[in-house]
Amino acid sequence: MSIFRLGDQTPPEPRRITDTVIERLEHQFEVDPDLMQITPQQDMPVWDSRRIFNARWDHLDWMHAHFADEVLLAGELSETMPEDHS
Amino acid sequence: MSRTAFKAAIDDHVLAELRAIIGDDARVRPDRSSRAFRSRVPAPFPVHRWAEHFPDVVILPRTAVEVSEVVKLANRHGIPIVPRAGGTGLSDGAVPLRGGIMIDCKLMNQIHEIDLVDRTVTVGPGINMLKLNEELKKYGVIYPDDPASYPCSLVGGRIGTGGWSLLGARFGHTRDLVISMEVVLPTGEIVEIAEGGGRKLRKSSTGLTLKQLFTGHQGTLGITTQATLELVPRPETEFAAFFAFDDYMKAYATTGILTKSGLATLAGVVLFDEKKIEYLRRDDEAYIPQPESVRAVVAVAMYGRRCEVEPASKEIMRLGRSNDGKYLGDEISAGDWASRHDRYATPLHGRDLDGQAVLMSWHCEDAALNYSVLPQVREEWHAIVARYRERYGIFDDWGMFAYTSGSHKPWADYLVEIDVGIWEQKLNDENWAAWVSCKREIAQVSLKYGGSITACHGATREGDAELVPEEMGSAWPVVKAIKRALDPNNIMNPGKQSLDEAYE
Repeated sequence: MSIFRLGDQTPPEPRRITDTVIERLEHQFEVDPDLMQITPQQDMPVWDSRRIFNARWDHLDWMHAHFADEVLLAGELSETMPEDHS
Repeated sequence: MSRTAFKAAIDDHVLAELRAIIGDDARVRPDRSSRAFRSRVPAPFPVHRWAEHFPDVVILPRTAVEVSEVVKLANRHGIPIVPRAGGTGLSDGAVPLRGGIMIDCKLMNQIHEIDLVDRTVTVGPGINMLKLNEELKKYGVIYPDDPASYPCSLVGGRIGTGGWSLLGARFGHTRDLVISMEVVLPTGEIVEIAEGGGRKLRKSSTGLTLKQLFTGHQGTLGITTQATLELVPRPETEFAAFFAFDDYMKAYATTGILTKSGLATLAGVVLFDEKKIEYLRRDDEAYIPQPESVRAVVAVAMYGRRCEVEPASKEIMRLGRSNDGKYLGDEISAGDWASRHDRYATPLHGRDLDGQAVLMSWHCEDAALNYSVLPQVREEWHAIVARYRERYGIFDDWGMFAYTSGSHKPWADYLVEIDVGIWEQKLNDENWAAWVSCKREIAQVSLKYGGSITACHGATREGDAELVPEEMGSAWPVVKAIKRALDPNNIMNPGKQSLDEAYE
């Protein structure tokens, strides 16, 4: 049984990634709120951010399957990023 | 006699005639919301003058005969006709410039025949390629016309604009994939346009080759009411690889190497320049964490049988690294390739001069250029946009890419885009005029380097349209003669591509 706790749905404090980008949830980047004065950011609960994030992967999987029976990968990690990010 | 100045006058009598033709009031729509909804396109639009682009009435026909009768009525009364399919075009082909009757083909969305023996599918112009391919999947075939607007554009619009496909290097573009058409001419006759007289023939030398004339005319020569399309075997295997470079010229050289590789399964090669990477580094999850040494990217995609794609993929990996290219990894390569239709799914934003994020619409310049001139054009285009950005503060340079453009011949022609964000909320007459001027300067660079203004969107909007006679050069009188012969009353999408000159 899952129990909904309001506190769990509040995003954690952000971590700065670049001069203009922050990260609150792993691999989910956001424009620095200081740069969103003209177009204010929405407050989003964690579940909604997760939903959008996961839906994105669903969409990409669907698009692959739509155009071909299989996706062939080179089977190699990124040569530009440290191993834990690739 | 000039036939260039009319503005539609649709009165109750004309509406009654239209209702009598269609026989269903729900498919004759003079209401404001139906008209407003069908007036703009996803390209930057003069929103401060939106109402000037409303059609006067929208018709939703179901048959070629209905289209024909409406077109005949338009000729009798001198009313403009504007054909519209998905309304996803990135120029003004489907935007009324003088009001009139809009013929929206969305209800003509049937699959009439799937012929697995002679490998064709015959459809109405209102069908979407994604929906068509969902149906075709069960037969092991695909209609491989894959624009960025794939999830939402329609076959009729693809034919009208002479669309360009992301998989064109492998399978051809729209004009290569349409085998024959039923077309309602500007005078209302219904004709079959094919290779010679064969509805399912790919090649004939009988008579004149009319099919190309009726793909890419931007709705100025008629309305396609049915199309017979190519079916190809559904690909077994997809492979994509993205390579990063610390220098644009290394990426440019690698692009040339890849496109000349002779690999038959090559579906597309894309070169992203430094400005494009800067743009992606702001907001794109794949590029935000990349090190500063990533300054240009080359993307490659292949489709085919596993027995073809697998060995070819090894050669792609070798060639992609041949100028210090670094593989961006499986996740980015597969994921970014599958994201290729995102332009139509994401809310767009850019940066003002203070770096603040603002909502912007997206202009995609889509010149056709040869490989040899890409570096020079890149420099001149960025300089133009920088000048206008600095002066007006409502534009943003979102970088450039060059994408293989020759059907089955990827080695020399490129669709070249500079993507420009435009802060539409700030548009007024002065700012719109500035945008048109910027647009014209960009297009003039393409002509200076022996290119074409547009590889796929069509030269139908201000900043482009007035340059069509210059680009067509000595062939322009021929173009005008054809337009005047087929459309004697200039009712078919008037005001587009400078074709009003045909009536002067």
